[in-house]
Amino acid sequence: MSLSIHNARLLDPATGMDEPGAIFIDKGKIRDIAKGQSGPHKDARDSLDAGGLCLAPGLIDLRVKTGEPGDEQKETLATASRAAVAGGVTSFVVMPDTRPTLDDVALVRFITERARETAKARIYPSGALTVGLNGEQMAEIGLMADAGAVLFTNGDVPVPNASIMKRAMAYAASRGALVMSRPDDRALSASGVMNAGAFAARAGLSGMPVEAEWIGAARDVMLAESTGCRLLLDQVSTARTLEIVAEARARGAKVHATVAAHTLFFNERDVGDYLTYCKVNPPFRDEETRQGLIDALKRGEIDAVVSAHDPQPPEEKRLPFGEAAFGAAGLETTLAALMSLVNDAGLPLLDALAAVTSGPADLLGLPQGRLKPGAPADLILFNPGKPWLCDREHLRSRSTNSPFDGRRLQGRVMRTLVGGETVFEFAAS
Amino acid sequence: MPKAGYTYSFDHAHLLGIEGLHPLDITHILDLADRYADATRAGQRADPVLTGRTVVNLFFENSTRTMSSFEIAAKRLGADVINMPVAHSSVKKGETLIDTAMTLNAMKPDVLVIRHSASGGAKLLSRKVDCAVINAGDGTHEHPTQGLLDTLTIRRTKGRIEGLKVVICGDIAHSRVARSTTMALHLLGAEVHLCGPRTLLPPGTDTWGAASATTDFDAALKGADIVMMLRLQLERMDGAFLPSRREYFRYFGLTADRLALALPDATVMHPGPMNRGIEIESAIADGPRSVITEQVEMGVAVREAVLDLLAGTRT
Repeated sequence: MSLSIHNARLLDPATGMDEPGAIFIDKGKIRDIAKGQSGPHKDARDSLDAGGLCLAPGLIDLRVKTGEPGDEQKETLATASRAAVAGGVTSFVVMPDTRPTLDDVALVRFITERARETAKARIYPSGALTVGLNGEQMAEIGLMADAGAVLFTNGDVPVPNASIMKRAMAYAASRGALVMSRPDDRALSASGVMNAGAFAARAGLSGMPVEAEWIGAARDVMLAESTGCRLLLDQVSTARTLEIVAEARARGAKVHATVAAHTLFFNERDVGDYLTYCKVNPPFRDEETRQGLIDALKRGEIDAVVSAHDPQPPEEKRLPFGEAAFGAAGLETTLAALMSLVNDAGLPLLDALAAVTSGPADLLGLPQGRLKPGAPADLILFNPGKPWLCDREHLRSRSTNSPFDGRRLQGRVMRTLVGGETVFEFAAS
Repeated sequence: MPKAGYTYSFDHAHLLGIEGLHPLDITHILDLADRYADATRAGQRADPVLTGRTVVNLFFENSTRTMSSFEIAAKRLGADVINMPVAHSSVKKGETLIDTAMTLNAMKPDVLVIRHSASGGAKLLSRKVDCAVINAGDGTHEHPTQGLLDTLTIRRTKGRIEGLKVVICGDIAHSRVARSTTMALHLLGAEVHLCGPRTLLPPGTDTWGAASATTDFDAALKGADIVMMLRLQLERMDGAFLPSRREYFRYFGLTADRLALALPDATVMHPGPMNRGIEIESAIADGPRSVITEQVEMGVAVREAVLDLLAGTRT
């Protein structure tokens, strides 16, 4: 089964390629890239005219929650993968904070097996850093890594005890494992529900201060330096946190950072009249901070942009703001959020794509995320300027708690391929 | 032609650690211990060189094995032995240790054998008493008679120490055995490689004389003459320093497959007591390449030699 896609704008962030041409796919892998070629590839049995659309590697998302196992009413691996491929996400990492927690080899294998049986996208399990995410006992990092866990994290609540964190990182380093940690000093932030500041004060809501993130980041970055552990700071929300990362990197530490796509799009004022769909952790910050993050993304200081997909059913969101759950569905809107920065904020298209393709692929050591002969044919065809109205009724996720609901967006995926097979095709409704 | 000769005398008042000993001191102790071991095996009674001497076993930490070993060694040489197992909970460290030492010193013993949970405990005691002090383990610092008995066991098994590749695997950070044994073997010319999970490998093991420290047990085992497994304390497992027992066994447990990476005639050692199925497979511990019971036997011989040198009537 071979396929040629021609008349496409080939975009490969890994090499900086942005040229018209054709691509040849065989047995699930990219076999050839014919730059400048307008017709189908000579060896292909089937061909597809891209009609001038952008052809890029599928998105790789390092932070997705589903409810499987334990909370399937929120989302399953299958429903999340449907939303993912509609948003152009062809590979994603699921977080370990399910019920039960992914802190055991058998559960890591369960995720891999269930994903293979039910999901349209490639799904990679992460492993819990501590047993039951209790922050006290180190989980079986080595055995889970051998079973396929691609990174280890304590989820939304970082390990509170620095000594335990240090040992876990030292141990992870010796097994070559990547540790992902939310930079957050809970003593400062645990009671907060939105960004700390004048807006929260006027709304009468308790705040999560930026210092909580800086202090948490400084601790984990220093531990990464002393243990030699590869560290990924999860969902950084201020540019100053990235300065902490850059300083450590300059000293040779293996420290990286992600930012959630919605953090680049919204600011604290979008919380407006207590909109619980805008209740996320880390919270939307003030506009100056948001602009600072966009500048950092332009400078290449952000290794990966994640969806932070966290589906919550209505019973978790139809509550007073303070009582509602944190989290936003994001798999279907990540690309559009980035395209809004391309279209409105001067972010180069290839830089936007790098943060969701080659950037995360490099962090995990995956072969996909690039247009390269031999790489898996996980591809998207998209129109970066196509306008659309985000209506949560049309989102494919089982829970549709999207802060983008009702927003006019630009940039739409028209077709998604995983392993050379079309798993999503846009149909105008 | 007369041979150029030299006289040697063991001029240490105490045995507080391997650190501070000269390779000649170690060889001298081992030579004497060899004779005691041979005599015991031949069923001969040792010379009662400690007749009229009083040896006090002052154990602030429970250890039936080590205390019995010292007791038997001292009794074989004719000493009067008093065992003082001091319950750990009743001891309030520092001042109480000194108080105990002063009290005992007033009773004029000849040798104090001390085990204490604080590193430096034996040294502190030695400053306060007039008799010889033998360190039977101080915290995570040293356990010199263990280092000597390991060295003697290896020398008797392999016929030499120099040039041997020795791998010591386990909780290096909290092991006084690892420190004493590494130093003793290094002083006699062995190449000692330390191995364990990153959280239990302390920095600066090169200053002990270790040739390397690694988390890769399989790689360390290649070409090893001696594989020594250390006991993993239960409280170190189960999440504090390590994920779990089974993960520890997976990467650091000595199995038959793993032992095959070492030299075909590699010898297996363990200072005991063993956690079977955690750091060592039973079949290996009880197998033909294990010298674990010889270690216990050499323990008595080494302690006889040390007691003889420090308090014997012939010196």
